[in-house]
Formats: sequence, C-alpha cells, structure tokens
Amino acid sequence: MRFGIWKLALVLLPFFAGCGKEDGQLREAKKNVVMIEVTAQVWDYRLPWNPGTVSSSRGAGFVIEGNRILTNAHVVSSARYITVQREADPRKYPAKVLHVAHDCDLALVEVQDPEFFKGTTALPIGGIPDLESVVSVYGFPIGGDRLSVTRGVVSRIDYNSYTHSGRESHLAIQIDAAINPGNSGGPVIQSDKVVGVAFQGFRGDVAQNVGYMIPTPVIRRFLKDVEDGHYDHYVDIAIRWMPLENPAMRKYLHRPNDGLGVVVTDIFSEGSSDGVLKKEDVLLSIDGHPIESDGSVRLDGQPVQLEEIVERKFAGDQVELEVWRNQSLEKVTLTLRPAEMFSMYENLYEEAPRYVLYGGLVFQPLTSNLMGGLLGASDLRLRQTYTLFGQDQLYRETPEPVILSSVLPDRLNVYLVGMAGQIVREINGQRIRTLADVIPALESGGERTVIRFEGDQRPAVLKKSEVDRVMPRIMAQYGIKEVSRTEVNGRRLAKGSFSGEKSK
Amino acid sequence: MNRGWMIFLFGWVTIVMAAAPADITSRGSLVRIRASIQPYDQFRPWQKKAPFGLNGTGVVLPGGKVLATAALVENRTEVGLEKPGSAEKCAAEVEAIDYEANLALLKPTDPEFLKGFAGMVMGTALRSGDKAEVWQLERNGELLRNQAEILSAGVGRYPSDEAGFLVYGVRVSLPKRDDSYMLPLVRNGQLAGIMMGYDRDSQEGSAIPVPMIEHFLKDSADGKYEGFPTLGVSWSPLRDPNLREEVLAPKSGGVLLTRVNPRGTAGRAGLMEGDVLLSVDGFNLDEDGNYRDALYGPTAVGNLIRTRPTVGSPAKFHISRRGKEMDLAGVYDRKAREEVAIPTLQYDVPPKYVVVGGLVFQELTGTYLQEWGDKWSERAPQRLVQLFTFQHEKRADPEKKVVFLSQVLPSPTTLGYLQLSGLVLEKLNGREIHNLQELAETVDRADSGDLVFEFTDDPGKLVLGATEVRAVQEKIGKDYNLPALRRL
Repeated sequence: MRFGIWKLALVLLPFFAGCGKEDGQLREAKKNVVMIEVTAQVWDYRLPWNPGTVSSSRGAGFVIEGNRILTNAHVVSSARYITVQREADPRKYPAKVLHVAHDCDLALVEVQDPEFFKGTTALPIGGIPDLESVVSVYGFPIGGDRLSVTRGVVSRIDYNSYTHSGRESHLAIQIDAAINPGNSGGPVIQSDKVVGVAFQGFRGDVAQNVGYMIPTPVIRRFLKDVEDGHYDHYVDIAIRWMPLENPAMRKYLHRPNDGLGVVVTDIFSEGSSDGVLKKEDVLLSIDGHPIESDGSVRLDGQPVQLEEIVERKFAGDQVELEVWRNQSLEKVTLTLRPAEMFSMYENLYEEAPRYVLYGGLVFQPLTSNLMGGLLGASDLRLRQTYTLFGQDQLYRETPEPVILSSVLPDRLNVYLVGMAGQIVREINGQRIRTLADVIPALESGGERTVIRFEGDQRPAVLKKSEVDRVMPRIMAQYGIKEVSRTEVNGRRLAKGSFSGEKSK
Repeated sequence: MNRGWMIFLFGWVTIVMAAAPADITSRGSLVRIRASIQPYDQFRPWQKKAPFGLNGTGVVLPGGKVLATAALVENRTEVGLEKPGSAEKCAAEVEAIDYEANLALLKPTDPEFLKGFAGMVMGTALRSGDKAEVWQLERNGELLRNQAEILSAGVGRYPSDEAGFLVYGVRVSLPKRDDSYMLPLVRNGQLAGIMMGYDRDSQEGSAIPVPMIEHFLKDSADGKYEGFPTLGVSWSPLRDPNLREEVLAPKSGGVLLTRVNPRGTAGRAGLMEGDVLLSVDGFNLDEDGNYRDALYGPTAVGNLIRTRPTVGSPAKFHISRRGKEMDLAGVYDRKAREEVAIPTLQYDVPPKYVVVGGLVFQELTGTYLQEWGDKWSERAPQRLVQLFTFQHEKRADPEKKVVFLSQVLPSPTTLGYLQLSGLVLEKLNGREIHNLQELAETVDRADSGDLVFEFTDDPGKLVLGATEVRAVQEKIGKDYNLPALRRL
C-alpha cells in the first residue's frame, strides 16, 4: 500500500532568494533558532557530465544537544557552501553537513567555530502534541530577514508523503500555523520543547492553512540512527495489504467479524517479508499491538498505520507478527531491511548522475531524477516501466533499467538521433540489467556494436572502429571530460544482493 | 477521437472566396444530412450520453445513394436527408460504413426521394498544386463555391485510424455555413474528394480522395463490406548503412520489418521479423518505405497496400532474409486489424457489462480507454493502457478478451471494496475468464458458497457470497436505476 507514487501538490519550503510567548519559550527560541543560507549545485540529468546549476536558498535550523544544528535535508541538499547565522547576530559562520537523511527530510549541520555556540542552550525534543493544542513555528520565511514566529493548532496526525524523497511516507503532523518558504527546518515548539520540524505545505492555490511538520518520533529515529556515525535508510515491511472489512472476504478467510486484522495481498521479493509472509495471511497483531481491520494500531493512545511500528525500527531489528494462516494462528518474526529495490523512485541528491557515453549515445540508469528532468511522460513504454517497476517487481529481472537517454548528434550517429528514450534490452547479445553491464557489453562482440531495445524498435548499430575514432571529437564538441561515470561514492550501486544472484 | 478532430469545420471565416449561382449539376448532386448522435457512456455502460446533432452536406451518387463521412453518422440514433432549397425530408439508412476510412453510404428509406437527382460522378485523382472547389449550401439552397488548392497528396492520419490512408491537404477559405460537418471537394463538376477536417486558423483542411472513395464503393457494391486490407507489420526505415550491413540488406532499397503479426497478410505469406521488404506487388520500396506512384511520385507503402488491392486479392512480396532474396505470395486481408483481443473501434456497439453484487465488469476496448480524455494513456489505469498499447507485441490471443473490474457500486456486498477499479479479472472460482459471457455463466452457476474473483493485480483476490449477491442484485438495479444488470 505504501509504494504508490504520490502526486500531491505538496511543496517544500525553503525560501529561494536571494512561533511562542516572550517568556522562556521565545527567549530560548531566539538563542537557538538559526538562519541557514545555502549555495547548492544541482546535477543536471540532461547533461550528466556537467557540474550542475548553482542556486541559493535560505532555511532555518535549531541547535540541539551536542552543538549540532537540526534542519531539513532539503534545506542543505546538494550544498556546496553553507553559512549559519544566529538571530540578532550579524556574523555568518561557515558550516557543513554532518548527516543527511533524504528519506525523512532531516539533516544535521555542524559549525567548526565554537564561538558560534556561545550562549546557545540546545532545544530539548518533546513528544507528540495533542490535537487542537497550540504550537509556535519559528523560522526565517519570506517577507523579511529577522526571526518570524507564527502560531497555530495541531490539525491532524497522520501518515503523509515526504515530497523531498519522492517516494517515502512517514508520520507527519498537520498544523494550521502559517508555514511559508523559508520556514523549512525551523522548530515547532510547545511548552519549551520541540514537537516538530516545519517542512512542507500546500501551495496557496491548493489549500489554505495547511502546513506539515516532522514529528519527534521521526526526529528521534534519525538522531538514534546517526549515533554510529552513519545514516542508514528507513526499513520497510515491503508488503501490500488490504483492509479486511468485507464480511464475505472475512468468512472466506475464516475470520470472525471482530473488526480485527488485515489481509496480505502481495509480498515484494527481496524485501523484509520475502519468504516469511504469504499472500492471504491475515495480520492480527504487530509487536503485540492488535491490528484493526483498517490497518491501524494504537500507539501512545493514537491510532496510526501499522507501518508506524516498523518505522521506528532500524535495519536488522526484528518485528513480531501474529498471523492467521491456513486457519491457524502462527507467530512469525521479520528481520527488517530497507526496500532497496524501490530506490529508483527516490529523488537523488548530491550524488553525481551516472552515465556511459558511446559514439554520442548516452546511457543512463532509470531514476526518478531522469524521469523528472529529462524524459518526462513522453514515451509510453518508459513511463509504464517506471510506474509498474515496483508493482510488477520488474527489479527482479532488471534491477536498474538502462535508458538511451539522449543521442548527441554527430556525423556518426545521424540515423540514431530519434531513438532517445528507449529502454536498452541488450548490447551485443548481452542482457543489460544495470548500468554496470553496459561497458563490458560494449567491449564484447565483433566489429559492429548492436544495441537492441525493448519493444519492436529497430536496433542501433555502430562500427566499433568508427566509434573509437570519433569519440575524442564528440567529447570535445560537447565538452565532456569523462567517457563514463559508473561509480558513485555512497550509492548502493549493487542495489542489495539480488542483482548479483539473479544474473548468475 | 473523431469529434475533436472534426469540430474545426465550423470555424468562423468571413471571407467568401467565390459565390456563384447554382447550376443544374449542383442542385442534382447535393443533399443535406441531419444526423442525431448519441454515443454510449463507457463509464456508465448501461446508458447513453446526451444526444447532439451533426449536419453535413452529402453527395448524391448516380443511382440515388448518398456518400457521407463515417464521423457524421457514427453513434447515430437517426439520420435524415433534406433537399436543398426545400424542406422536403426523408429518413436514411446506413448501408455501408467504414470507420477507419471515415466513409459511409446512405440510402433514403423512400426510393422516390432523390428522384430527379442526376448525382455527381467520380472525378480523377488530384495531385498537389491542382485547383478544385469546396462546395457549400446556402440556407436557400443556392450553391457556394469556394476556390481550393491541393497542397499535398500522401499518406496521413484519419480521425480514427492508426495506420494512415491517402489524404489530400487542402487550402481553402470556408465561410461559416450550416451543414459543414462534411463537404464535397469538386473539380469540373465531378467529385474529387470529401472534406473531413478544417482548421480555420491556418485555413487548411484535409479531404478523403477519390481513390479511397472508389475503393469503398467498389467494396460495398456487393452488399458485403470487407474494408481496406492491412499488412500487419511494423517497419523501420533502412537508410542507416550500419543497420543495412547488420541485417545483410542489399545495396539499396527496402525497409526492415520489426514486427510481423502472424495472423496478418504479411505473416500468413511467410514474412518474418528481421526481413527486409524490398517490393510489394512489383513496386520497389525505397529505404524510407516509399514506392513510386505514377500520379503522386514517392508515396508511403501504406497507400500501396490499403488503397489499391481489396481484401481477397493476391499479394506478392520480394524480401531479403539474412542476405538471401526471395519471393513470397499471399492474400490481402485485414485480420491483423480485426482479430485482436482488445478492439480499437467500437462505434455503434453498445458496451458490454455485467454487474455482480455491485462489482461492475466490462470488456476492455480502445473506446473505453479514450473515454479518459486526451491524456487517456496517462489517466486511465496503467495496466489497461499497457494491455491495449502493447497487445500486438505480446501477441495476445484474440479470443481472450480482457475482462476488468471497472468500478464498484457501493452496496452491502461490496463493503471494503469501494476504492477498487481498473483490475483485470483472471479467474472466477478457479475458472479462467476470457469474456463477459463466461463471467456471467460462472456467476449464474454458483448457487451458494463463495464467488472468488482473482485479479492480475493487487489486491489479487476479492470474495463475494453467491447467496448474498443474488439477494442484493435486484436492489442494486433499483437503487442505481440500472435498466439491466448485464449486457452481453
């Protein structure tokens, strides 16, 4: 249920430019809320060899214990230069990103100069605020340069998509305080404690007075995750389930009409539940929390989706499920891991785009960035492959579809220019499953390189000797320094173990 | 879809190029066509959409039949003819219709109605640069002759066809007049074509040329209309010398077949994927798939296959297969177009459906998908789009229709299923379902116990109680005012 690609009109809230009582709370906020100015450089997936476009933006952050500054990932993503500045202090201190978690839109920033932290007190992290209780939002939104405070009430506590990552949904709290571009990363405070980080809202033409903050369970999870000096990805139960509300369906599964349980409808291979859960299992409880027939569990008195139990755990942690299977009750244990097979749907930041250039033909792995930036919705087959990649578990066959993303026109490839946007099936008879397969395949074969695509397209044929001869010309003409970039630091290039296993 | 394409004919243009008094020829050759149109509602398959009228200027043929465009009379409830210059009316029947070629032949129900009409004879084919006239009728029945010029003659898209037919590009400035949904293109008092589309901004339109019309009339003459042949292949140009080398093509000419439908004309003649098609019926093809037409010069192979031969006439191919040239022979047909699991054209055909306890099942058609609007390929359920768009690649068995859950009507039996739609049904109670008839039979046979529906996509399985369904069926029909719970 969680892997649908959400298309809400949610917007992230850094301010591109160029909340409390004047008692303890405001005083503390003034000490600890900081303005973060970022110069970012965003990779251009259309021209993957280029260093990217430079832009500036502004967001907020706040000092937490350990002289660290907590903010949103989207405030500091792709940053080349960061400065932080405290309220009513003209000095700008250079800063750098300590940890960034794009999946939950949180980041930690550090400042080398100890002078910066003089007089800060570190804001304590609180719990989940009650519905309708009043919260204050602090930040540096559009409309001025000094600290801004707005107030509102907690409107809703629910799962929501985190638009920065493009695919993740986590617990989010909706508030009706004005949240505007530049509020991003700022603290939401209640009773002197941080109850959230302001991070996204709707554009004014979509909805009014709807802002979202990242609640403290997500913040605490992030802070705990980075304790070992490294941020791991969220883990995922990697199943689809359906509410078990239909009486005939309940009867078919031999469940009484007690309003409990959901039915597993799909298990994603390579995921946490692969080999443990089965289709038509009825999930009755998770870590001892009874599961209602709509999939909710009670946590701290609040009804939340059953995934919230998994959300708070880490890779390698276990979760216990009570399962109704073949008309008997079983206890199963899952060992949790990230759903790496879906990483294609994640927006990529910082990471340099990977590509292989061959005779003006540019090969790139299918990523969310490539779909958004380059190919859009133009080619039906490509769009369908992208949309159905998770649902149809296409990753089992091709963990990383390779696209002929563009053809840089040259005398050599005049007949191939119209072929951009095709999905590469094989090169010189070798099946292409990831970008890593491309170079060895290009090097194999005879005097001609034959590239075949999905569907009934003609193949692209190039003479190897000609390609070798014109590559310097093409690279010079288009200002390309490197023939390929196939390795990127920190990227889960192999996408888990499955790619290796399957290709054997 | 047809309507969007045709609507341009009503453009406001104020310049009248030429108005001449009616002569005897015109008065005896034109008749107004009044069509009342009411398409089926694909999303509510038990009902039709709001009716509307379309008016065109039909061409009376010698012999008393009337030539119209298919777009003018498709999804009709009623078609009438009206004599220009008088209010005399007569109902008409559609004798033959070809939605692909956008042509229809009408016959007045009263054989005396067009008595005294000489009819318009078929003229010769035109080529670019030729002058002609587009005829319109004034309210009083006088003739309005608009000077026109043929800009192009070549294979182009028709409103509802994927493959393309011969079409004239016509430059003409048309004033706004009634009955302009279709208009005759005339040269020297003879029929040169039928205007089927017009863009008032560019003052350019498109016309169905006479060779198409003649093919259509010849085919329909025996009362059994068969349609235009198709080859059943996809091909790619073969200009790229590297590709030519790779597929061992001869020095020049020919196109590369990238897909061959085994049921189509080419497939049955033995042509295969990867073959280089060098000539068809003795006409050599160049590297871009053009043959040299005596009249039009280089013209796309589509015209050679579709306009010239008829279904049943012999087909000859010369090919190169891995460097070896050979001749293959077959018979022209259009099975590749007709024998498909998911039909494209569904005009005048009521959509089938079956309601089972609030679950609404339909058979997938291109018409259903187009109901999602211009961006149907993005908006419609992606699985359905995929099955339709790539059905030729997947070689789907034409006998296996795609039955899908199109919507769920809330009822006590469908509790918890309300959000579901666009799911392709695979099995019911363990039986594979290949059409709605099989679905209805299986539902009827299940007297008690469960109805277990299995779908290709998540959530995979839905269950209804057979007894509960039977108990609630009538109430659903009543609650939602359904005239019937199924149409098979």
